[in-house]
Amino acid sequence: MNRRHFFRRAAGAGVVLGTDLGPTLRDLYAFGQKANLSHVEARYYKSLPDREIECELCPRRCKLGDKERGYCGVRENDGGTYYTLVYGKACAMHVDPIEKKPFFHVLPGTNALSIATAGCNVNCKFCQNWEISQVRPEQVDHFDLPPADIAETASTYRCPSIAYTYSEPTVFYEYMYDTAVLARRKGVKSVVVSGGHINPEPLAALIKVVDAIKIDLKAFNQDFYKNYVRGDLQPVLEAIRLIARSKIWLEIVYLVIPTLNDAPEETRKMSQWIQKEIGPDVPVHFTQFHPMYLIKNLPPTPVSTLEKLRKIALQEGLHYVYMGNIPGHEGENTFCPKCRKILIQRNGFEIETNALEGGKCPNCQNPVPGIWA
Amino acid sequence: MSVSKVVIVRGKGVLPRKGEVDSKILSRMYDRGVRLLTGQNDIKEGLRSIFSPSDRVGIKVNTIAAPELTTPPDVSLPFARLLAAIGIPEKNIVVWDRTNRELKEAKYRLNIGGSSFQIMGTDTAGAGYPDEPLIHLSIGSLFSTIQSSLITASVSFAILKDHGMAGITAGMKNYFGVIHNPNKYHDDSCNPFVAELFDTSPIKGKHRLTILDALVVQYHRGPSYHARWAETCETLIFSTDPVAADSTGWQIVEKLRKEKSLPSLEEDKRLPLYIRTAERMGLGKANPADIQVIEEAV
Repeated sequence: MNRRHFFRRAAGAGVVLGTDLGPTLRDLYAFGQKANLSHVEARYYKSLPDREIECELCPRRCKLGDKERGYCGVRENDGGTYYTLVYGKACAMHVDPIEKKPFFHVLPGTNALSIATAGCNVNCKFCQNWEISQVRPEQVDHFDLPPADIAETASTYRCPSIAYTYSEPTVFYEYMYDTAVLARRKGVKSVVVSGGHINPEPLAALIKVVDAIKIDLKAFNQDFYKNYVRGDLQPVLEAIRLIARSKIWLEIVYLVIPTLNDAPEETRKMSQWIQKEIGPDVPVHFTQFHPMYLIKNLPPTPVSTLEKLRKIALQEGLHYVYMGNIPGHEGENTFCPKCRKILIQRNGFEIETNALEGGKCPNCQNPVPGIWA
Repeated sequence: MSVSKVVIVRGKGVLPRKGEVDSKILSRMYDRGVRLLTGQNDIKEGLRSIFSPSDRVGIKVNTIAAPELTTPPDVSLPFARLLAAIGIPEKNIVVWDRTNRELKEAKYRLNIGGSSFQIMGTDTAGAGYPDEPLIHLSIGSLFSTIQSSLITASVSFAILKDHGMAGITAGMKNYFGVIHNPNKYHDDSCNPFVAELFDTSPIKGKHRLTILDALVVQYHRGPSYHARWAETCETLIFSTDPVAADSTGWQIVEKLRKEKSLPSLEEDKRLPLYIRTAERMGLGKANPADIQVIEEAV
């Protein structure tokens, strides 16, 4: 695949909707490499007898013999040492509005330098970026992009944040972690877009070096996780709890798929759980599904369904409940939970007005939580 | 009720030294195996009952554990020559696996184009994977264009070995090398994934023959190579029933484990249940009572 094909294909996967970086930046990096994998020792695993290892990064805890790869496809046991094959091997890099992640309470109206490597530790049948997440690193073009270059590039393109996104950042943990450390030294924030399948120990360490995490909560029942995600709900809930108890910012996205996870009662239970375990201030986004990857037989989510679920979450006391992928809908806006004034008006990924003053409602002085500067 | 036939041929001395193959003994093993399997007096007639000269035949080898635990060219290419001898042009016989790197590590000399055997990985320029996944039951994968487009008939030439997750890996699981995302199908002892992958049209519709390479059998701690648990069995197993071949391979691994005082796969909680699933799906016979096993030594 040549460079042009790579961009065309990536565009098809919906990962280049942000600002085109232009030929200058592209030429800085050598696109079109497939076999140039990294050989950097992974950080969370334990050695077992007979050159076997057990990965301790995510709840799968893959036990692997020599030369085997984990479920993620990007970590390999080589002679009893576990390596990440994607350290510094980005397969996507774009400048996106941070609203696209989506983060609605983090630096609104700014751009995030968004990066990804190949790989994912689940296999969602509805994955929107499967062409990079559900492949091995050899199967997608990538380029050398060391952590220091990412931080530098973010500054060059006036991005106050770096987003680890598109695929599943947990599987490129070491790369993300080191980049976040360097970025913070340069005053650049790090935001993570994850499915939340990560073990508590690596997550606790990550929390210390990043500023915000968005968790894709795929459903609020285990059967859905088993059948459509190939994962488990409980570890994701544990990850959400751990993030919520930390000092970093958390948002939750719930992709609503017709007939599969759109039951009002499920949304009510989820909202009650969020209210009880995390509190009312975590932003929750109900986003519209589009047929993709292995689920092409279902229509896009009706707007009325999203409106109904948003209403339920608001009824259950959540303060910031949004609708996603419906440009121009009032459900994209941030309202003051106290006086109902519109604080941030959005249209798709654009900020039309931002009335927040020092993180407070200008009308009633109610503080609105988030990272505003 | 019909039974499936599986032929086990032992060629004492076929591996005279590490890394060496006695081609004469190997030739006798193929000859005996194919004739017993097909009931023909002549190996060419036997192969003609399975393949046609107009076929483009893929021989899917497994080179992931190369160089120690793989089917080397000294073993697979003589079989390719037997196919050529029945009138299939050499250029229409593809010996292949996932990647060129793995093939080279297994000592294959890549060859693309020309009039001789094609030897290539899916990552060969011009091969690769399609843009859209094939969806079938629990499978959603990109299939190597070698399997889906290039060939019309398929041989699973698989290494028989213990597998930490699947129980054993043999002929059906060898086809994990056809798809781009085999790592996604190792949950639940690879069950039902191995069977459901085999059930897809690019595989089931083209599979003609299983040959299990049991020359050296890794009966424990597979699929990686560990000399301590690798037994030189000097055996090849033939069947046109992919499930019966794997079921018989499973029994061989169990027998070795018992001889070495290792727990059975059931005791190890690693039963290769996908073999029984494959039987339930009608892909072949898994119950030893339904399998006629013919054992010979050459």
